Amino acid sequence: MRPTHIEDYLVNVRKGQWFGWSDSKNKIYANLIVHDGGSKPTEQQCTDGLKALQDAWDAANG
Amino acid sequence: MALSKIDIENMVTGELTTTNGGTGATSFSEGITEADTWRITTNFAGDADPITSNWERDDTDGNGYIGTGMSQSSGIFTFPSTGYYRVTFHHQFSGMVSGSNSNYVQHAIQYTADNSSYDDATEQWGQIFQNGSYNMATSSKIFDITDTSNQKVRFSTTSQGNNIYTQCHSTKNITYATFIKLGAT
Repeated sequence: MRPTHIEDYLVNVRKGQWFGWSDSKNKIYANLIVHDGGSKPTEQQCTDGLKALQDAWDAANG
Repeated sequence: MALSKIDIENMVTGELTTTNGGTGATSFSEGITEADTWRITTNFAGDADPITSNWERDDTDGNGYIGTGMSQSSGIFTFPSTGYYRVTFHHQFSGMVSGSNSNYVQHAIQYTADNSSYDDATEQWGQIFQNGSYNMATSSKIFDITDTSNQKVRFSTTSQGNNIYTQCHSTKNITYATFIKLGAT
């Protein structure tokens, strides 16, 4: 399935349940919360990371 | 004179007659008094042993629950009252597996009798065979809950390698748990 959301990028940043959403019905960057005390990716990193996943998927699936 | 009503209070004694298919039972038992569904809202990769975060009660698409419902804190579920409960965990996962390899995925319903030490009360295995493939596993167990302060459950998943993703959603039940009270203990 083609990645469509920054969550698709975030699951690859660290393993486990390291992040969540302050409003799970509105998964936007502003609502991103970190559970594990680690660093929070920037919004740009999320945007770029999602695009890289999409580009890779498109290249692999035509 | 035709009989139009039956005076239950005064004309029926303590036993239901076996005539016409009655059971002879001396009392009725209630139907389902507790039923609840909780799901994980956010995807994650790799292990979560236990699964502590991002739980929510099903709250979309004609949702409902019966009774008080379960309470949850950091992934630990407390039963609302004593009784026999059927607990079921539905786990969906996907994976990125290279070549002809496969990765296993395991999940468990974990149980404590002392609100401290947990055992795997169920153990279910699944496998991912190729990139981007999906699979799911379900396990279930009936628990006799006599002490709601100390008898609790939680859930876990572990996997081979680090390329397994537990699939979750905040408006659909994808990875989720159901709790149904079957009767009094």
